[in-house]
Amino acid sequence: MSAALLTRPRADWRGGTVLMALLAPILLVNVLTFLAPVINLAMLSFRGSGPGGSIQEGLTTATWTSLLTDSFYWEILLGTVWTSLLITFLTLLCSYPVALWVSRLGARWRNLMMVVCISPLLVSAVVRTYGWMILLGDQGFVPGVIRAMGMTPPRLLFNETGVIIGLTEILMPYMILSLLAGFGKLDRTLEDAAGTLGARPFTVFRRIVLPLSLPGLLLGCLLTFVLAVSSFITPKLLGGGRVVLLATEIYDQAIVTLNWPLASALSILVLVVFGAALAVYGQLSKLVD
Amino acid sequence: MAIARAPHAAGEAPRDAAPAAGLNSVHLTLEALEKRYGNLPPSVSALSLQLRQGELLGLLGPSGCGKTTTLRMISGLVPVTAGRILVAGRDVTALPPYRRDMGVVFQAYALFPHMTVAENVAFGLEMRKVSRTEAKERVMRALGMVRLEVLADRKPRELSGGQQQRVALARALVIEPSILLLDEPLSNLDAKLRDEMRNEIRDIQQRLGITAVFVTHDQVEAMAICDRIGVMRAGRLEQIATPLEMYERPATPFVADFVGRMNHLRGTRLEGGGVRVGEAVLTAAGTGPAGEALLLMVRPHRIQMTPAATAQPEAAGRNVQPGTVRRVTFVGDALHYEVAMGAETMLVESSTVSGPQSFAVGDAVFLAWSPDDTLTFPAGTEA
Amino acid sequence: MNTLSLPRIAYGVLVALLLVFLLAPVLLVFPISFSADNFIAWPPSGWSPRWYVALARESELLLAFRNSVVLGLVVTVLSLAIALPAAVMLVRKEFPGRDILFSVFTAPLLLPSIVLGLAILIVFVGRGLVGSWFGMVLAHLTLTLPYALRVLATGLKTLPPAVEDAAGTLGARPFTVFRRVTLPLMAPALIAAGALSFLVSFDEVVISLFIVGPQLKVLPVSLYHYVESRTDPLVASASAVLILVTLLLVIVVERAVGLRKAVGGGG
Repeated sequence: MSAALLTRPRADWRGGTVLMALLAPILLVNVLTFLAPVINLAMLSFRGSGPGGSIQEGLTTATWTSLLTDSFYWEILLGTVWTSLLITFLTLLCSYPVALWVSRLGARWRNLMMVVCISPLLVSAVVRTYGWMILLGDQGFVPGVIRAMGMTPPRLLFNETGVIIGLTEILMPYMILSLLAGFGKLDRTLEDAAGTLGARPFTVFRRIVLPLSLPGLLLGCLLTFVLAVSSFITPKLLGGGRVVLLATEIYDQAIVTLNWPLASALSILVLVVFGAALAVYGQLSKLVD
Repeated sequence: MAIARAPHAAGEAPRDAAPAAGLNSVHLTLEALEKRYGNLPPSVSALSLQLRQGELLGLLGPSGCGKTTTLRMISGLVPVTAGRILVAGRDVTALPPYRRDMGVVFQAYALFPHMTVAENVAFGLEMRKVSRTEAKERVMRALGMVRLEVLADRKPRELSGGQQQRVALARALVIEPSILLLDEPLSNLDAKLRDEMRNEIRDIQQRLGITAVFVTHDQVEAMAICDRIGVMRAGRLEQIATPLEMYERPATPFVADFVGRMNHLRGTRLEGGGVRVGEAVLTAAGTGPAGEALLLMVRPHRIQMTPAATAQPEAAGRNVQPGTVRRVTFVGDALHYEVAMGAETMLVESSTVSGPQSFAVGDAVFLAWSPDDTLTFPAGTEA
Repeated sequence: MNTLSLPRIAYGVLVALLLVFLLAPVLLVFPISFSADNFIAWPPSGWSPRWYVALARESELLLAFRNSVVLGLVVTVLSLAIALPAAVMLVRKEFPGRDILFSVFTAPLLLPSIVLGLAILIVFVGRGLVGSWFGMVLAHLTLTLPYALRVLATGLKTLPPAVEDAAGTLGARPFTVFRRVTLPLMAPALIAAGALSFLVSFDEVVISLFIVGPQLKVLPVSLYHYVESRTDPLVASASAVLILVTLLLVIVVERAVGLRKAVGGGG
């Protein structure tokens, strides 16, 4: 036989055309409602806005200049970051004991409790937020309990307190999941080993459990922070319009004021905050290793 | 009908003899087979061999040597980079797996978990549009062959490893393939079952007279059942021979080491055929220029050990060297001795029933072995 | 008693309180839904099913509910139809840029929905897609496809080894292998991907908030507007119904594949 026959490739029954045909639908959806809109959004932040929601021709940095020189937006940005950090910290504080407890259960109970802990994720954010309105409202459950104890309840709804309490609870399942993933790598025999070497329970926790759970903890914090920054429904409903964060301001600019270039620029700002969070996470992860 | 194809009665053919030339024609030919992935060194290269009808070839080698890739090229699951594959003279190199008509038994059996045992076995017949009644009959016959008729309606996960293995074998054989390919079929079984299954595979293969390729990393397994063995290393075929030939006359030090335990001695050839190893002068088969650096190899169980207190054993052309026992290891059916012989340490294996006495650490002994049992290789050819 | 018991009890109480905190907003919806009051108050002055009756008469919410179910079903079917071939290609076929494509296809998950919603709104407005079924389906697919793709890709990757090869050597052509072996073995992944797609679409608020129009309302958005403007227990009864429907769906999935497997595959 000829040399050409020797190197002939096997008939390929999954050719390039088939490949393209089968990937085309997902590619189409991705381009139409993800890539193109996002690129368009980034470009829109370099256009000017006119009265009545019109968009001016020509590129300009005016939107960005006014955004970055206006102390109002700096306050929103810093306020959002600060609130989200606080929520992340509180979520961690509330989730760690639960996750540690769940990870210690026997296999059967552990799976059940894991499902219980993440089940709130399956309930619409609107419903869960509504639940918090029942709990925190002036005639609600918590003020009722406080009054029953003979004290005057503070205002819990339609202010920052309500937003922080609600988001902390709403984000807990994510944190618990991340922590449990981290605890999964924790070998119980390590703790026993430390115990036999003479470490007291708290020392075992500080020297063995905590360091080994740090990667899951960091991931959970990143996830919680990012979700807190981008949350909209809960701050809007529990804040009652009095709590202004980046996400709510984007919505107001886009829907109420109809200033799309500004809304676009604020969106990019959210992505910048994400980038910064990722960078910090990367640095901290390196430190942990 | 599969069962009727047997050229000789079950169990009659001697294990280590290749089927007599002329009686059986060449059935599978691999011509300069090569497989490359990207710019990496080839996984398989220049692999050529011929199998006669009814022959069982073992492809033996360490993991990553290319033996499984070779098997997958034969089955069509991996396209070849260069070379040809011929079955009964027909070029199948370009055929996809579903048109090659080969039965494959996979390492983890690859039974369809959502089908019953009978459905698994019937799958290949269904693909061949065999009528339902005939298929049913052939499935039951194939299951009978592996003694699993009663489990026909079970799902694979309800079977033991050995039973799954037999279903996989029945599934591969029921389509009466031109060639049977087995990819490490015994590696997931425990030791006792492994011996049982390998004999069963050999019996069925001989009964059907089917040409087969058996990939394994276990030299004992390959030696036990194969007509011929091909030892592969880094994508190349190092040697292809009968098990006996492979054991007694390995072509390279790598093959010698791979098919059994070996003592290694480094030496220099002297005028007149002797080989200097350290202080000692040994006799070895083969000739070559004086001063040539050599690697001598001796199998541990071919060395005879006698107490130094008794007379030096009759030389009669044998190599006889004094030594001191350094370590004794009892391994059940044998004793392993590490014996200091000059600067070298020799491993000696003796059957626990063969000798009148055993030796203790510190004993002075004589080691004796025949020059015929001494393999010589040019130095630098070892692994 | 040993010295460990007091901290142990304290720890147990702490965990119990935190679990109550976690589950309270969901659980409290049920008693409030039976409140006889005109506004949210705890404890209610009386018990009555009146808000369920009111819910049944709230034609706008019922229409939105119907729309959400139809939308969820359409989006689920399309998600599976689009993501399955894509997953097969991205997992089984090696080609340059494969990993990048996979990242791009799952990237919408990383974007905050407020940003994605705004971005989609801006391109939809000029093309008459806002408030249209087509636009709504397209926008929801952007969210559900990454989930479906991930679950199906994981399902494909965890198929038992070599069964597809085995079918090929037994004479099955590629499409027959897919139909007879790959697809049946992927049933759990398909169910999980379908359920996840439905839940994501059914629960999505923010993106829908940008795209809904007067002609096309969906339940989460209608509930959001209701909660924003009124504080009566009607939403509690609606929420209770929603939670029970979700629970039912989860039990069905759990029966079929196991919830942890389904959720884990999506993570």
